[in-house]
Amino acid sequence: MKKVLIIFGVLSLLIFIRPVLGLNTAKNTSTTQSVEQIDTAENESFFDKAFGGINQFYNYTGFANATSGHLIMIVIGLIFIYLGIKYDYEPLLLIPIGAGVIIGNIPFVAGNMTGIYEEGSVLNFLYFGVVKGIYPPLIFLGIGAMTDFSSLIANPKLMLLGAAAQIGVFGTFLGALYLGFHLPEAGAIGIIGGADGPTAIFLSSKLANGVNLLPDGTTVKNLIGPIAIAAYSYMALVPVIQPPLMRLLISKKERKIRMKPPRAVSQKEKMIFPIAALILTTFISPSALPLLGMLFFGNLLKESGRTERLAETARTKMIDIVTILLGVTVGASTQADIFITKDSLLIFGLGAISFVIATMGGLLFAKLMNLFLKGDNKINPLIGAAGVSAVPDSARVVHAEALKSDPHNYLLMHAMAPNVAGVIGSAIAAGILLSFLT
Amino acid sequence: MINIPLQIDQISEGYIILGTGLFIVFSSLVLLSVFFKFGVPALLNSYKAIKKGKEKGSQMIKKDAPAVVPAVSEKEFTGETAAAIATALHMYLHEQHDNENAILTIKQAKKMYSPWSSKIYATHQNFR
Repeated sequence: MKKVLIIFGVLSLLIFIRPVLGLNTAKNTSTTQSVEQIDTAENESFFDKAFGGINQFYNYTGFANATSGHLIMIVIGLIFIYLGIKYDYEPLLLIPIGAGVIIGNIPFVAGNMTGIYEEGSVLNFLYFGVVKGIYPPLIFLGIGAMTDFSSLIANPKLMLLGAAAQIGVFGTFLGALYLGFHLPEAGAIGIIGGADGPTAIFLSSKLANGVNLLPDGTTVKNLIGPIAIAAYSYMALVPVIQPPLMRLLISKKERKIRMKPPRAVSQKEKMIFPIAALILTTFISPSALPLLGMLFFGNLLKESGRTERLAETARTKMIDIVTILLGVTVGASTQADIFITKDSLLIFGLGAISFVIATMGGLLFAKLMNLFLKGDNKINPLIGAAGVSAVPDSARVVHAEALKSDPHNYLLMHAMAPNVAGVIGSAIAAGILLSFLT
Repeated sequence: MINIPLQIDQISEGYIILGTGLFIVFSSLVLLSVFFKFGVPALLNSYKAIKKGKEKGSQMIKKDAPAVVPAVSEKEFTGETAAAIATALHMYLHEQHDNENAILTIKQAKKMYSPWSSKIYATHQNFR
């Protein structure tokens, strides 16, 4: 320790003394005029230069470049992290996104290849997977390898609930049009109602990416950041948004309906499901191929019984890696000067409305279905709320809500059916919007 | 001559997309659910029938076997029954404490020597 101190002291002494020595030597020698000139110049402006350097350094720091926008966004990032840690709202998403928001909003001087929007910067390369829609299909592969579709196979009519909740997508789409967004932008905003982060990012990267040209010659706005943030934050807020709507629309008596346990599903059916669903849905909506193809491929890996290794990787390591990259880059894409606009606020408002519409659509459609169902085939209308995807949070919310009115009514497995149907439905809806609007 | 506007305004196009989009989403999921309600059971039944037809000649003895076991229709065998059987099996298998391993071993808790924070170094070294 002592030695280090001594060495450090000597070095610093040398550095501080150098100009003085330089001055002396210059005076002593002073052979050529040019040398003298340089030395005198150095001598005169040493302190000025030092201050100039410090000043320049200061100009490069975050303190000099910070604007109120940056500070607001950093606070938002901190709130995300706090919500993730303290209330356990989707911490796997909110913590990476929150950290990303902080990373993306550290003020810097443009032109040094630092920012996420600067061509060629490291963050820009990572963001490439978002802009080109590469990450979402990979996440869908993992989701497919995780999801058990057996409750859906046992009770196929619940698939309609997944379709009913998609009214949120199209309702928001219309609302965005009325607020003055262009068609592609409105489509990308509408998909927030699908309550599916990867799908929202996929569609907005295709429709509202700031590159495509509109018919009138202007480019569309880049809305990927606001849409992704809105989608993920409302997904995290599902436990807050949905229960009041359930209590509002579903009577106490209906909440107590018990559903008969689903029948046992054979392994053959489980194997047929991904293949048949892949072929049927993608023939109808080919634009959703990257999402649905990967989803059902992942599920086939899981159910085939021969590719457990691949399924294991897809549902653990791979989806984790992609989630990390996606979360951080989506968070970082909220750079204040691009993110804090009126449009973002409108998108957040529309996002909340879309969740409400989607939930109500699912609940009301479930009540409608009950009019046609007899005896113990009746469904508990609460599971309609799980038709917005938000896997598996909305199913959990339904389960918890049903337990409140009847402590022995376990709806989780029943709610998973509309839940996964909602994933399929929102991917199909994304495909339809994509094919209409490009 | 009828004047057809070249560009339909955005809102009406939005309504068209709303209608057709919802219709397509519904129809595709209806198609899927119909396929799984009727198509897949039919497929599996036909598969079973083909398999049975093939095995009919060679395995006449096996045919009598199901008569011994009381037949339970697939409708009666619900997830609840399966869960009950599985729980019973699990409890049976995990409450067997009769076959304990008789070999006793004493695990040697060997403390590895490490100079880290050793007292000898702390007390026997003279600092200048």
